[in-house]
Amino acid sequence: MKTTNCIIALGVMLMAVMDSAVAHHSFAMFDRDREELLSGTVVRWAFNSPHIALYMETEDGTLYSFEGAAPPSLLSRSPSMNGFTFQPGQAVQVVYCPLHDGRPGGAVGYIIDAEGVFYRPNDGGCGPSAEWEQWVGMGYTSRAQAEAAQ
Amino acid sequence: MSRTVSTSLLACAGILASALLQAQPPARVPLPEAVQPLQRFATSTEHYDYLYNYHKGGTPHTYESIPKWEGLWSADGNNSGNQLFLESTDGGPIGPFGEGENVVIKKGVLTPEYEAAFQYRRDLGVDYDRLTSCEPAGMPRWLLEPYVREFVNTPVQSWWNNDLGNDMRRIYINQEHKNIDGTHYAAGDSVGFWVDDMLIVHTVDIFPGDYFRGTPPTSNQFETVEVWRMETLNNGTQRLVDNVTFYDPLSLVEPITVVYTFRPRPDLEDMGFRMRYWECAQNDNTYLTFDEDGRPSTQYRLPGEPGYVDPRGVDRLRNPDLPPDLVGQEKSPIFSEAVQ
Repeated sequence: MKTTNCIIALGVMLMAVMDSAVAHHSFAMFDRDREELLSGTVVRWAFNSPHIALYMETEDGTLYSFEGAAPPSLLSRSPSMNGFTFQPGQAVQVVYCPLHDGRPGGAVGYIIDAEGVFYRPNDGGCGPSAEWEQWVGMGYTSRAQAEAAQ
Repeated sequence: MSRTVSTSLLACAGILASALLQAQPPARVPLPEAVQPLQRFATSTEHYDYLYNYHKGGTPHTYESIPKWEGLWSADGNNSGNQLFLESTDGGPIGPFGEGENVVIKKGVLTPEYEAAFQYRRDLGVDYDRLTSCEPAGMPRWLLEPYVREFVNTPVQSWWNNDLGNDMRRIYINQEHKNIDGTHYAAGDSVGFWVDDMLIVHTVDIFPGDYFRGTPPTSNQFETVEVWRMETLNNGTQRLVDNVTFYDPLSLVEPITVVYTFRPRPDLEDMGFRMRYWECAQNDNTYLTFDEDGRPSTQYRLPGEPGYVDPRGVDRLRNPDLPPDLVGQEKSPIFSEAVQ
């Protein structure tokens, strides 16, 4: 079953990645080797070209900015996303690849809602690990932490 | 973890890695062979004129008879991009932007000056894309960009939209090239003629661009002859096929003929997608910068930083002459708080 799930998950990821590896700019500013998990509330979800943006405030009041793929590709992901998928004040978790320079932002990998649904609005700026579905439940907050523990 | 699961994970990871390294998703059906020109032509004009004369000026269409390529489309498979210009010395994969171990420039495809320019670009890395500055993709990149297209054909003009960057191609049917501006254009100047359901297009005066990010540049002598047709596949679905020959005496040793395909996207239509004006300047917070070694790179502005543009709220850069607290200026009333 695990293998089947893996294949399905990677299949979904594959389709998303094939649509998302390209973008209108390079991803040089994002550290694609790092994946971090943050919790917060949505300040704004901007579903617009050339890239969607999610602004999220963390508990300490820091405003994080995340960039993802272009709207047409989000529509065809599973689950599909549109301009009303995330609402201000909504509690979410975000897996992201941070900016190299340490400012509060990065390329979004997953957005996870309160029901535990994994949304994948990413483009090539962040190709998050499929294992996050397990890692979140295990309390890990970074890929490095999860990999070190395994 | 069992050996079976480990093997499967490795296999999955391999498939994913392989997909990541493709410049475009593979065509869902086999890519049609590129049809080479019937003879060697010295210029694109000679090629187009030959086809025009061969088909005796083509088929006049009315609004009723004009081929309809309606609905939304997106780019599908192609045999263009970096696969024309790069090869792997060990048979390994070539990445979307030409990256990969032991990937080198093919000899004899580009002219020496453009091969050197391509090497220069590759040595700098691919950390910048001219589209970051809100340039349209233009030709030939218009053909490869992954996003959404609309193809509107009339008896006198075809209007083909790429939603990336408000990048419209206009093809003037049975008309002469015109350039009263004395310049080049991202999409160039296109004329064409129909032969029944096939459209032959000649494009000149193209502003120098790229096949894609990380490919060689084109020169301002780059021109194309395209043969477009819609075909119905065995599974009953349709696709648009563009058989295109690139001419560029400054960058290409010989003309190159390739094929691009496009697939219908009724799924996007069903989900309510409509092509909108691409508000790059008002939405885009990426910008050109240079790293510590002076190489072009890309950076990302955050709220509150100079030059940041607010994609939903009340942007002072858009309303500098209005009171900052004027009610009703947000793009969407459900997102009423500006990010500052």
